[in-house]
Amino acid sequence: MNALSILIFIPVLFALLIWAIPSAWRNSYKYLTLGAALIQLAVAVYIYLNFQTGAAFGGIDHAGQYQFVQKLSWINFALGDTTRLQIDYYVGIDGISVALLVMSALVMVVATLASWEITSNLKGFFILFLVLDMAVMGVFCALDFFLFYLFYELMLLPLYFLIGMWGGVRREYAAIKFFLYTLFGSVFMLLVMIGLYLSVTDPTTGNHTFNMVTMMSPANYVPGSVFDIANRYLIFGIDARTLGFIILFIAFAIKVPVVPFHTWLPDAHVEAPTPVSILLAGVLLKIGGYGIIRICAGIFPDAALSSAYWIGLLGVISILYGALNALAQRDLKRLIAYSSVSHMGFVLLGIASFTPEGLGGAMMQMVSHGFLSAMLFFLVGVIYNRVHDRDIYNFRGLSTLMPKYTVYVMIAFFASLGLPGFSAFVAEAFSLAGAFKSFTFNGLIPQWMAVCGVVGILLSAAYFLWTLQRMFFGKQLLKGGEAWHLALKDINLRETLTLLPLAVLALALGVMPWLVFDKVNDSVLAIVHFTSQFIGN
Amino acid sequence: MPLAAFVFNALALNKKSAVAGWVSTLAILVSTVCAVNVFARVWDSESYIHQQQVWFTIGATKVYVGLLLNNLSVLLLLLVSVIALPVHIYGMAYMKGDPHFGRYFTYLSLFCFSMLALVVADNLILVYAFWELVGFSSYLLIGFWNTRDKAVLANKKAFIMNRIGDIGLLAAIVTLFAQFGTFDIDALFGQHGLISQATIQDGAWVTAMGISMPAVWQWVACIGIFMAVAAKSAQFPLHTWLPDAMEGPTSVSALIHAATMVAAGVFLLGRFFPLFSETQLMVLAVIGCFTAFMAATIALTQNDLKRVLAYSTISQLGFMVMAMGIGAYASSLFHLVTHAFFKCLLFLSAGIIIHEMQHLKDEHQLDIDPQNILYMGGLRKKLPFTFVVCVIAACALIGLPLTSGFLSKDGILIQSFEWAGHHGGIWYLIPVFSIISSMLTAFYISRLIFKVFFGEFEPEKANPHIHPHFTDGGLAYKIPLAFLALSCFFPIFSFNPFSYESAWVVKGLTLAEHGGEADLLHTIIPVGITLVSIGIIYWAYNIYVSPNRKLFPQDTFLFKLSYNEWFIDSFYNNAIVKGTLSLSGALFWIDKTVIDGFVGLLQNIVLTLASITKWLDKYIVDGFLHTLAATTVAISNFVRGFQNGRVQYYLFSMMAVLLAFFIYKILI
Repeated sequence: MNALSILIFIPVLFALLIWAIPSAWRNSYKYLTLGAALIQLAVAVYIYLNFQTGAAFGGIDHAGQYQFVQKLSWINFALGDTTRLQIDYYVGIDGISVALLVMSALVMVVATLASWEITSNLKGFFILFLVLDMAVMGVFCALDFFLFYLFYELMLLPLYFLIGMWGGVRREYAAIKFFLYTLFGSVFMLLVMIGLYLSVTDPTTGNHTFNMVTMMSPANYVPGSVFDIANRYLIFGIDARTLGFIILFIAFAIKVPVVPFHTWLPDAHVEAPTPVSILLAGVLLKIGGYGIIRICAGIFPDAALSSAYWIGLLGVISILYGALNALAQRDLKRLIAYSSVSHMGFVLLGIASFTPEGLGGAMMQMVSHGFLSAMLFFLVGVIYNRVHDRDIYNFRGLSTLMPKYTVYVMIAFFASLGLPGFSAFVAEAFSLAGAFKSFTFNGLIPQWMAVCGVVGILLSAAYFLWTLQRMFFGKQLLKGGEAWHLALKDINLRETLTLLPLAVLALALGVMPWLVFDKVNDSVLAIVHFTSQFIGN
Repeated sequence: MPLAAFVFNALALNKKSAVAGWVSTLAILVSTVCAVNVFARVWDSESYIHQQQVWFTIGATKVYVGLLLNNLSVLLLLLVSVIALPVHIYGMAYMKGDPHFGRYFTYLSLFCFSMLALVVADNLILVYAFWELVGFSSYLLIGFWNTRDKAVLANKKAFIMNRIGDIGLLAAIVTLFAQFGTFDIDALFGQHGLISQATIQDGAWVTAMGISMPAVWQWVACIGIFMAVAAKSAQFPLHTWLPDAMEGPTSVSALIHAATMVAAGVFLLGRFFPLFSETQLMVLAVIGCFTAFMAATIALTQNDLKRVLAYSTISQLGFMVMAMGIGAYASSLFHLVTHAFFKCLLFLSAGIIIHEMQHLKDEHQLDIDPQNILYMGGLRKKLPFTFVVCVIAACALIGLPLTSGFLSKDGILIQSFEWAGHHGGIWYLIPVFSIISSMLTAFYISRLIFKVFFGEFEPEKANPHIHPHFTDGGLAYKIPLAFLALSCFFPIFSFNPFSYESAWVVKGLTLAEHGGEADLLHTIIPVGITLVSIGIIYWAYNIYVSPNRKLFPQDTFLFKLSYNEWFIDSFYNNAIVKGTLSLSGALFWIDKTVIDGFVGLLQNIVLTLASITKWLDKYIVDGFLHTLAATTVAISNFVRGFQNGRVQYYLFSMMAVLLAFFIYKILI
């Protein structure tokens, strides 16, 4: 059986199991979910270890270079006499997916461990959680656009309920905001998907197809069709391919999130329970970045290159805007949410450069941010669970009260602000190096953007250190007085078990970045090679 | 040689164990021995050692990790370990009884590791990484007593200001990478490296490979590096963190904020020296000179013992940067080395004084600040050993003959005159101002010595019943101090006490031979400066010690300017920090009001649209249907009335219809 399919469907299996077990045994649910996540992690590690590298495994636009491929005919019937509707269950991974896949599997485990705090309606929570898990894995593996879209939409529903039912005070508002934002993006994605379907034919069967790899090759477009590269088709006077690109980009930009499509994120994070925050920041944001690389740049490389300037600009704006907003927050969780916006801006900047360094840095940043944001949100969860407050000004001098906790907070903060030795440093340094090199390499984005991005690193130091100073150092002072003093116990074993691996990973990836780069490089070079054909078009 | 690097690394990890000072001290001892060994092999051997291996590959770019040992790096390697060793020994005594003794040494070892690695790193990525780690360990050590608010504020400030430098360095590194495609220092800055082959033509910066970018980016790279240097080596305008950094333990101030870390900036200048053009070096010289002057004036009026020393450090670093700027590469590094010894010595002595004052304060519940020199005085008799070493260090700082400071400082001054002679005109301001700064140095350090060690002990004067029992401390204090004091004398550096050119440090580093064109200067300047310095010391003695002392007026503008540190800090706080915060507040407002407002507007539009369609649905579409239905009902009701089953009604209606028909016929 295909390893990817196992990865995708294990959660479903366990979800069914949980559904079948009566609520009287509700305490077993979390262990079952943890079991699912661990098995998934084992499979992901297996995939990672068996993932082959080399120029022959670049992937991207070469269907033969994907690994762990499984292709089953799924929906296939004749429409009239001439055409057939052809939708495949088509999964496979290349370097871009594999790093994110392993990262997601690990974040899933962390999120499960954070779910211990959930007390109400356990059955519903864990079933939705596992469905979400499946959808996420599916998105990273799918190579058929229809399948991708299916998983993509499937993520929305569980998330809506997870935020809306287990969230904080304003959970309904946050949930509906999140839902509408994302739906807004994906509805138009549907249109583009159908347009692509009608424009592309499978060279072997001659049928229209949703196969994404097929969509990447200009030769497969039907001459004169909407998205044909050779004949530009205009919609409302705008080039159809550019329009298609913009629509897909906005859909993924909402996910990333890119300023100005980001305001759902702080609200969703603040209201969501800890495990959902972890998943949101750790995994779901990466789907945006992944989508931009795989789909926007893969299917519309010409439009992506011509809009690289704007992508880079949005990236820089996100970096600075997110960082400055984080500086203004007094809710710890909101601060971290805005810092996510800022950090994901580096991903965008790296992608926009279309240099090997920039793209590699962007991938690294996604993986690194996956671990670090999971860690950060988990840490916020620790304190919120104890006293149900997150206001920075209500705490002071926590370091004497919770020394171990403070150590982890410092690790997470310093890793996030890009201290060398941790993963984010390598990621940010190379995103910026790529952005800088772009000018001499392919002339896509000007150097000042990289310089502005550098300022973001400074600001991130400012807001993290300020928080450290306000909350953790100085004389001890708690708003809740004695009650809080008793409630704020140092982290327990479960929490240590969650945080330690994350801290170790952040350090490991910083010292041994080849763990990621080795797997990613071939695909990154393949993208650069692939897109460079379209420069000047 | 990789072995040596490996040893450094392994030691650093080993030192992480909380088993306190001995491990760390032992480790640094081993490092020192290694450093001496390496130094002996590399120094002046015409060759350098450069080893590397692939760290990771990103895209097609290979990033290496490796070490580069040339004269510059082995000199620093030796300096750092030799200074760190006495500080470690001193620290074991100084920090005794602190509840976080182990943590102190862990941090200190982390610092030593990063600093040693920084000086041997062979590529820019590693340089940046260790550069920032050095800053990070300094952050940890400044905030070592992290329950003190001031310490925490100070370490935040230090880290953020250093970060400003870091981003400059990062910008410079990525610029160089974009231009030359490599991070390798040797390839870039070596004798026939890429930098030396790159030229500026027609406003474009062209490499040997033919890649070009606008010349402004060469400036950006230089400014970036300058920012890094200014942040680490506390040059104007990024110097304000260093005085605040004195919140850390004094032994830390001695090692990090006087001797080694702050020297990293000058070291970096040394590494990147080939990148700077003539004009850029002039800018460096001006800034260095200005910093030296400004810091010296500030040091004149400070009352906090450590703050005076901190500003003195800034001033001396200004000298070094200025020396780099005027091309006195070797002298600059020579001054770095000599300064490291005597400044470290001053700080360690200050540590003893503060320690004793703190004891006195705790013992008698006095309301005094143990670091304020106004509360001291007459300590000459109470701490005789400390007094002696302090005076030696002060002499070296002033640059009196027979000390190491004489050799290095006068070297810089002489060369600045030579340099000004080349450029002429307004550039004579540089040597003039450096002479003035040098005079100021003599004054403020004399003031410090006289206030602390001469006169009468102030607390005793205030409450006569106090009987302080001060001691110079045990061997753990005395040995390091004695060692450092010995290193303040000339024989360590040169057998000829009057000629800086015969110092081995200068010989090993000199890039090009200097002609002996201005021999006269070589005599006049040292002699003149020595005489004037002695005069100033005597003057200071008159002011601060002799019975008929006269105090300066304390309300002049100049005094306030100096006392408030030129108002730079308050300017930063008001303009930059508050500005950034209000900007961030404003952006958050935009987020809340504009973007969310826009989303809310969309929502409202959709809702309004929905209610309009609802209204339409209800009143128009449904209304039409309802009208239709009502009409039908009305008609059918009407018609139903006819069919009530009574024959006479039927007859009646038939008659009525007939009647109507006839009327109709008749009318037509």
